Amino acid sequence: MKAVRNIDFSVEKGEMVAFIGPNGAGKSTTIKMMTGILYPTKGSINVLGFDPTKNRRKLAYEIGTVFGQKEQLWTHLTPYDNFKFFGAIYDIPDYAVEKKIEELKELFELGDFINIPVRNLSLGQRIRCEIVASLIHEPKILFLDEPTIGLDPVVKENIRSLIKRMNKEYKTTVFLTSHDVGDIEKLCSRVIIINNGQVVLDDSMENLKYHYLNKKIVEAKMREKVNLEDEDGITILKDKGYNLKIEVDTEKRTVADALKLLNPDNIIDINISNVPLEDIISSIYRKGDKS
Amino acid sequence: MLTAVRNQIRISLLTTKYALVREMLNKATFFMNIVFMILNDASFIIQWVILYSIQDGIGGYNLKQVLLLWGLAAGTFGFSRFFFYRAFNLSEIINNGKLDSYLVQPKNVLLSVITSDVSTSALGDIFYAYIMAFIYKCSITNILLFTFFIITGGLILVSISVILSSLSFWFQKADMIAETGVSLMTSFATYPDGIFKGAVKILFYTLLPVGFVNYIPVGILSEFRLEYLILVFVVALFFIVLAFVVFYRGLHRYSSSNLMISKI
Repeated sequence: MKAVRNIDFSVEKGEMVAFIGPNGAGKSTTIKMMTGILYPTKGSINVLGFDPTKNRRKLAYEIGTVFGQKEQLWTHLTPYDNFKFFGAIYDIPDYAVEKKIEELKELFELGDFINIPVRNLSLGQRIRCEIVASLIHEPKILFLDEPTIGLDPVVKENIRSLIKRMNKEYKTTVFLTSHDVGDIEKLCSRVIIINNGQVVLDDSMENLKYHYLNKKIVEAKMREKVNLEDEDGITILKDKGYNLKIEVDTEKRTVADALKLLNPDNIIDINISNVPLEDIISSIYRKGDKS
Repeated sequence: MLTAVRNQIRISLLTTKYALVREMLNKATFFMNIVFMILNDASFIIQWVILYSIQDGIGGYNLKQVLLLWGLAAGTFGFSRFFFYRAFNLSEIINNGKLDSYLVQPKNVLLSVITSDVSTSALGDIFYAYIMAFIYKCSITNILLFTFFIITGGLILVSISVILSSLSFWFQKADMIAETGVSLMTSFATYPDGIFKGAVKILFYTLLPVGFVNYIPVGILSEFRLEYLILVFVVALFFIVLAFVVFYRGLHRYSSSNLMISKI
């Protein structure tokens, strides 16, 4: 069974790239090939000038990985001891590790719990420690696989802002996979969408929104029932008599046209919004499935 | 190269230390494990003492040599399981795709994996082994030689387990082969080799090298022969190299997994 086929892309230094796709699309396989975990049967990979299949160890000094579903830390040790251990793994002298821990402690706000065993930390605190552990050796690329999985919205937001800060501070390239649209939207400037083992979209976040945000959702609460039917540029998404939800294709009709159809005097309340990014991504996934 | 080796050894020792610290979190269980393993090993000797009270000399061994044989068997078993515990469930690690976190580290994957856990009861085996060695002959030369054979024998056991477990890269049920191979070696290691004849004996010096782990060392400790000592060392080296070759060949076929895993 082939997990990925003819995937081709390159990433610039300091970029924050979202590498997304539905389950089984080949995201993890690609990341694992890029980090030297899996051997591709064909093709070539070059990460920071290294072929991961031939120079796995050299490459390992230059990259960091955080797999949200797989913990790297010793749970009975404190984050501080774990960081020291990771420093030893990467052959970093003690004084340099101490300095780095101090620096990352500030950046990731670990002061309150750096000396508490990992098993007693909350999931959010653990993920922060996982990220710090992967940054001890100052990697040039950080691979983040579902870094916010299982976290509550507040902690997610916190992790995202810390990753952003890290990217700004160290110019670390971030290669992120996540099913969380918030991670993608708030962190990444570029999106690569993969489906069925192939790249189906590789574009900037700005372009993605620009090209796919040509539809508006109009939700209206009406004084009287309106009998509206689908017509060119207008699709009825929900019609519950007094409550309507329609989608307007702004390339064919203006929002004003749609409002005229509803009769503005008949509208009690109205909400006009963009199509959620999640829906845009889902529609790209579906297109990929059909092709 | 030398720095890399030194750093690898440092990491392996550090991992062993942290794994030991984890085991010692519950001190009562930790010490009970050790004590009960010593008692467990000692209970087998009673059978031999009874046997030797009926008949003197079994398979060419006197009672003291049987004690030494048990000491070596317990010592090699204990050494291998204390320092390289994960070599004995390597199949499960390969099958469940748990090598990922070791593969992204700039260290030797095989060494990092197999040294990542310890068995506390194995310490009981090691203590027991030295009690037997002292009973056999209390001399510095004897203890040094005994230690040398525990290391070479332990490393052969680890290598056999790694070689057989690495077959999991090629087919799923290799864990049963690994388990059977290692348990056969451990079982045969406690009987005087004189009771075995023909093809079985050939097996002990080829596929299941118990001969190099236990029998030849017992012979050397009874009557020193340098050529045999060198032979044991060379054979141990051969199996270690073979283990690395087979594991790294198989690693190209590693398929990982997306299971939720925590380091415990």
